Amino acid sequence: MTVARLVAVIKRICGMPDYAAYVAHLAAEHPERTVPTEREFTAAYQKSRYEGGANRCC
Amino acid sequence: MTALLWTLIGGLGAAGWAMLAWHRGETVSAAWLVVAAVGSYLIAYRFYSRFLAHRVVGLDDTRTTPAHRLSNGRDFVPTSRWVLFGHHFAAIAGAGPLVGPVLAAQFGYLPGTIWVVVGVILGGAVQDFVILTGSMRRDGKSLGQMARDEIGPTTGVLAMVAILAIMVILLAVLTLIVVKALTDSPWGVFTIACTIPIALGMGLWMRWRPGQTLQATAVGVVLLLVAVVAGRWVSESATLAPVFTLSAVTLSWWLMGYGFLASVTPVWLLLCPRDYLSTFVKVGTIFTLAIGILVTMPAMHLPAFTRFVDGTGPVFAGALFPFCFITIACGAISGFHALVASGTTPKMLDRESDARIIGYGAMLMESFVAIMAICAASILDPGVYFAMNAPLALLGGSAATAAHAVQQWGFTLAPGQMDALARSVGETTLLARTGGAPTLAVGMAQILGGAFGRAGTAIWYHFAIMFEALFILTTIDAGTRVGRFMFQELAGHLWKPLGRTSWYPAMVLGSAAIVAAWGWFLIEGVTDPLGGINSLWPMFGISNQLLAAVALSVGTTLIIANGKARYAWTTLLPLAWLLLICSSASWQKIFSQDPHLGFLSHAAQTTAAVTAGTIAAARGSRLVFNDHLNAVLCGLFLVITWAVVLASAKVWLQRWRPDPAPDSAAALAA
Repeated sequence: MTVARLVAVIKRICGMPDYAAYVAHLAAEHPERTVPTEREFTAAYQKSRYEGGANRCC
Repeated sequence: MTALLWTLIGGLGAAGWAMLAWHRGETVSAAWLVVAAVGSYLIAYRFYSRFLAHRVVGLDDTRTTPAHRLSNGRDFVPTSRWVLFGHHFAAIAGAGPLVGPVLAAQFGYLPGTIWVVVGVILGGAVQDFVILTGSMRRDGKSLGQMARDEIGPTTGVLAMVAILAIMVILLAVLTLIVVKALTDSPWGVFTIACTIPIALGMGLWMRWRPGQTLQATAVGVVLLLVAVVAGRWVSESATLAPVFTLSAVTLSWWLMGYGFLASVTPVWLLLCPRDYLSTFVKVGTIFTLAIGILVTMPAMHLPAFTRFVDGTGPVFAGALFPFCFITIACGAISGFHALVASGTTPKMLDRESDARIIGYGAMLMESFVAIMAICAASILDPGVYFAMNAPLALLGGSAATAAHAVQQWGFTLAPGQMDALARSVGETTLLARTGGAPTLAVGMAQILGGAFGRAGTAIWYHFAIMFEALFILTTIDAGTRVGRFMFQELAGHLWKPLGRTSWYPAMVLGSAAIVAAWGWFLIEGVTDPLGGINSLWPMFGISNQLLAAVALSVGTTLIIANGKARYAWTTLLPLAWLLLICSSASWQKIFSQDPHLGFLSHAAQTTAAVTAGTIAAARGSRLVFNDHLNAVLCGLFLVITWAVVLASAKVWLQRWRPDPAPDSAAALAA
């Protein structure tokens, strides 16, 4: 397992934003869209993660 | 060959149960507890979850999951199964499975163990799995949305009110646990206080360099460990120790203030870094504890059953049935999981068949966390366990009176024992630290000290306290936010602007309302002469189990709608059991003649005491009001749940249709 892969796994488990994966997704599926900056992406990600419903248990 | 292997696993599990059931010596090794539980989990996973996956739900890898169909690289992301397993487990495991089993150890170790294992196999894991697959096939819809779509709009609103009420009780009881652990503990208070600047620093770092989340978190974890060690120095300093020595009431007000400020602060500054910190520490500690138990295989000193199965126990009131099953919710079956299983996880499933290990498997893993908590409580001297968990009103203020009280209950406790134990973990007292966290911390300190070096018992104790308080504080922040959104959604029906989540005044009002609600129950618990956990924890258990009943009603509806009515017993069976225990527990909490147990008889007793002049009128009227409030809330939970179950039953009858010819039973055994 490469370091980059390990970092991606840890980020996914902890629910951290993964900008590299998002950029790859845009390039593959929506090449016409403009790529947001890492800060914009992170802000949008956090908004959808914490301002929705419950994402953890007691 | 595989048949041989599974026979072996089954035999080992059975041997574990046999040892626990028939061993009548002084102590029994915790190894048997682990063997019995793990053997049962493996058999259940191999056979029952396979049946659920193939027959009941019919997982089918040719169907595309929402993660692929709606892929957006953000929340809908196809994720490999073991990574998602870790993510889901980190989201469902929290303080619940650690606290409940410690409290239920009042009955001995066996009742809790049986309930945790049987409950998870036939109830908790089934609920998580069915809701996860239901949400997965409905584009990741939430439990509330599924209740509305599948059963009706009224049920949707009822489910939401139930979730909001449960949230308030949950936040109050979790905060109370932190208060119990940190009262008059300068070491603990200092360490927990440090988590706030550490999180703020991480938040600013990640805002400035969004790519460095992992680096910031790693530095945060290191600083946290430094704070645990530095706490000892603070507790020994003549100038600093008094600053961090707080009474229960002061601490409660601080925590309410924290909850309010944290929930109106932008997520990136405090909640997000705290979330990363607590996930890291949580997963790491659970892993370390498992290794510690496997390495040391400690002997359990608690008996299999205590005399308190009759309901006269000092930790909480009520007999084994139904209160063992109420006290242990998380770990056996937890309604809250239905919210997670219909939240982020279904949006990340790569293939349908992954839902089996993630829905069913991760819940088995949480159940194992509960088993570890039972181990940690059971390796303590029973005398120490009861001295730590009984309320001060029964123990008296000093080590000598406590030793006397514990001897009255039939256990041994030397007068100097509690003082020596408190000193060894760097505290002034450990008496009446009800709530699970300190008991667990002492047990963990013994296990980890045994596995990794005795010298640092006090450090291990405070590490364990930090670990629990850290994620409870994160839950206070996140939970107050979730409560605020629900409050705003409901209030928005009355006056539109209140529903706008980005309007600052509405946000502040919503947060203040939620904090005031849980704060009320918190202060009630802190000032309760019987210690608060006594009445609040059963209320939390009842509400969590009732939420599970709502989830299982929705699950049954999904199974029937899927044309699998003949397998509806898989969810109806745990549903019937939950309705039985919750209805009987709520009834006893409201109407029992025993003032320790029944809210109404306690109110009557208090009124009589006011008339007799033994309780001041103002204090008495507040106690009576709280009893009435608790009674009304308990009744409300019960009415809402029965309304949801009956509304669902109507839908089941309408949609019930016998399926086409049943498949051959032989395929089941394949």
